[in-house]
Amino acid sequence: MQEFKSLKDIPEQDYFTGGSSACAGCGPSLGLKLALKVLGPETIIINSAGCMTLLPLYPNTPLKASWIHNAIENAASTAAGARHGLDMMGNGDMNVVVYAGDGATYDIGFASLSAAAAKNERIIYICYNNQSYGNTGFQWSTATPYGSETKTTPRGKENPTGTTIVNKDMLKIMGAHRVYAATASLAYPVDFLNKLSRAKERDGFSYIELLGACTAGWNYDPRLTIKISKLAVRCGMWPLYEIEHGMLTLNKDFSELKPIDEFLKMQGRYRALPPDGVERLQALINEHWAELKEYNKQRYV
Amino acid sequence: MKQTLVTGNEAAAWGARLVRAKYIPNFPITPQTECIETLARWSADGELPGTYFDRMESEHSVMSAAVGAAAVGSRVFTATSSQGLLLMHEVLYIAAGMRLPIVMATISRGLAAPVTLWSDHNDFLDQRDSGWLMFHAENNQEVLDMVLQAYRIAEDPRVLLPAMVNMDGYVLSFTDEPINIPSPEQVEEFLPGYDPAHTIAKNRPVTVGPPVLDEYSIFRAQNHVASRNALNVIEEVQDDFEKIFGRRYHLVDEFMLEDAELVLVTQGSMSTTAKAAILEMRDEGIKVGLLRLRIIRPWPNEAVAGALKDAKAIAVIDRNVAPGKGGIMFPEIIETLYNLDRRPLVSGFVVGLGGNPQTENKVKEITHKLMDDLAAGRPRMEWNDLEEI
Repeated sequence: MQEFKSLKDIPEQDYFTGGSSACAGCGPSLGLKLALKVLGPETIIINSAGCMTLLPLYPNTPLKASWIHNAIENAASTAAGARHGLDMMGNGDMNVVVYAGDGATYDIGFASLSAAAAKNERIIYICYNNQSYGNTGFQWSTATPYGSETKTTPRGKENPTGTTIVNKDMLKIMGAHRVYAATASLAYPVDFLNKLSRAKERDGFSYIELLGACTAGWNYDPRLTIKISKLAVRCGMWPLYEIEHGMLTLNKDFSELKPIDEFLKMQGRYRALPPDGVERLQALINEHWAELKEYNKQRYV
Repeated sequence: MKQTLVTGNEAAAWGARLVRAKYIPNFPITPQTECIETLARWSADGELPGTYFDRMESEHSVMSAAVGAAAVGSRVFTATSSQGLLLMHEVLYIAAGMRLPIVMATISRGLAAPVTLWSDHNDFLDQRDSGWLMFHAENNQEVLDMVLQAYRIAEDPRVLLPAMVNMDGYVLSFTDEPINIPSPEQVEEFLPGYDPAHTIAKNRPVTVGPPVLDEYSIFRAQNHVASRNALNVIEEVQDDFEKIFGRRYHLVDEFMLEDAELVLVTQGSMSTTAKAAILEMRDEGIKVGLLRLRIIRPWPNEAVAGALKDAKAIAVIDRNVAPGKGGIMFPEIIETLYNLDRRPLVSGFVVGLGGNPQTENKVKEITHKLMDDLAAGRPRMEWNDLEEI
C-alpha cells in the first residue's frame, strides 16, 4: 500500500489538468485532483449528474483518466457494471471510482449505492458532499445540515431556521453495510490520500465522503475553501473518522472543539440563523462528537 | 436438425448463452423471470464460463450496469418486462446515445394501473423513440434467431446501437415450442467475439456521456443515421444466417399478399392465429393476406409500403393503445402509405389488451368489418375487445 506521511509525499503528477469549467475555489474539483494523484490514469471515474458533470465538456476534458456520466441516481450500478465488465475483459487492474454528489448519494441514488455496498463490489465510492444539490443552484438534500439556508429551505417569517431536518448519518449507514467507510477533508490531504490508498488496495467496496466546500452555495470568498474545510473539522461539523468491520477510529481527535459559530459566520448560508438555531446545531454537533469519542476504537455499528 | 422443446423465455436465455455474453445484470419481473432463472441455473452449474451473472436491486440499475459494462467493451445481455421496462426508460435513451450495443429481451406485459400480468405491447412500444433497434418475434424460434441476429446487427460499426427483442408474455414466454438450437460453433461462426474500437480500455482513456453545447443535434442525427443504416445491415446478415442456420428473415413478414385485396397488419404472436384464420378465409374465397411487423425501429418504410401498395383495404390490428388517439401502429401505417399514388383504405382495430385472447373468430370478424368499410368507402377506428365503449 502506498503510504503518505506528509504533504511532501504527495505526487506532483496531475491527471486533472487546467481548463475545467468549475468555479474558482471549488472544493469537489480539488478533491478529484487529489484523488487522481493516488488513483492514476488507469481509472474510470463514474460520475452522477451534478457540478462535476461539467468538468468534461465536449470535445474537451481536463482529465487524463476515463469518465462515464450516466444519470444522477445510478452511479453505483454503472460502476458495478464497469467493474465486472473490466474483470471479464481481463482489465481487472483498472480502478473504478464513483465521484458523486451528496444528493445523488444520500437521496436519489441511495438504492443503487446500498446494493453495490451490500454486494461488496470492488469500487471506491467517493461522495463529494457540498451539503446540497449544488449544480442546480443550491437546494436542500438529506445531507444539508440543520440551520443551513438553501433555495428550497429559505428562511422566512414562518421558518427562520431554514433547514429544520437533521441530515442523515451516512457514515453509520454505510458502516452498517460492513464496508470500509471514512470521512475526509480537503484541509487534511494526507489523511484523504491515505484513505484512498487503503481503499484502492481493498478487495471490496469502500465509501469515502469528502466535505466539498462550495464557494457559490455556501456563499464565501473562494480563497477560503481550505480554511473553511479545516474549521469544519475543528468545530466537529466534519469529524474525520473511519469505520471498518464495524469498528470506529477517530482520525483527528481534539480535546476541545472550536465553537460552531466560527464556522457559521464565514458563510452566507448561515447568515441570520437565529441564536436558538445556532444553539440547536451546536447541540447536535456535540452529541455526534460525544458518540464518536465514546465509540472510538470500539464496535460502532 | 434436432428440435428441442423450449419456452420463449428459455429461447432468449439460449440466445444469451450462445452469444457468450460477458455480463448479464438482471432483476426479476413476471413474465420474464424464467429467462433469468434459466441463466442463473446455468451460471451456478458452470455452463456460462466467461459470463458474470449479476443480481441487481432494480431494473433501473440493471440498465445502468449494462451501460457500465458495455462502455468498457463487454457484450451484455439482459431481459425485462412491463413496469421494469418503464423503470429503465431513462437509461434506454442514454444507452442508445452512448452507442452501446446492449441486447435485451423484452417480454411484453400490459402496464398498470390496473395491474395485469398478461400481454399487450404498450410496454415495448413505449420505447420506440429511445433510439434502440426494436425487433418483435412471432414464435420461439424467431426469439432465439432474433437474439443472435440482434448482436450481429447492433455491434456492426455502421450501427452500434442497443437492440430489443420482444416476445409476447405468457403466449410465448411460458409456452413450449419445438425449436432448433444451433451449436456454439455455428454461432461463433456467425457472431465472433465483440472487439470494439471505441470503448474504454487500458491505455485508451475515453470520456463517455459528457455534456455538449451546440453539437447536441449532431449526436441525435448520428443516432438516427445509425438506426437507418441498420435496415441494410439486417438484410445483409441474412445470407450468412441462412448459410449457417438454414433460415432466412425479411424486413417484414409477408403472408399470402400476392393477390390480397384485404391485408391485416399485425405484430407478435397474434400473427400466427391470424394466419390460421386467413387460411380458412382463403378457402371461402376471401382474398385476404397478412403483413407482420417484425422490425419496428428502424422503421422499414419501403418494405411496408411495397407490401401494402396493391391492397384495397388494410386493417391495422394494434395490441396496444395510445389513449386519446387509438392504436400506436395505426398512424404509422397510414403515414407510410400517405405518399403513394393510390392509397388503400386503412381501418384500425385495438385488440387483445391485457392478454384478452385474439381468436381466429375475432380475426375473421375484423376482416368482415374491413370488407364493410371498403364497400362503404369509410375507414373506422374500433376497440375490438369490447361490444361498445
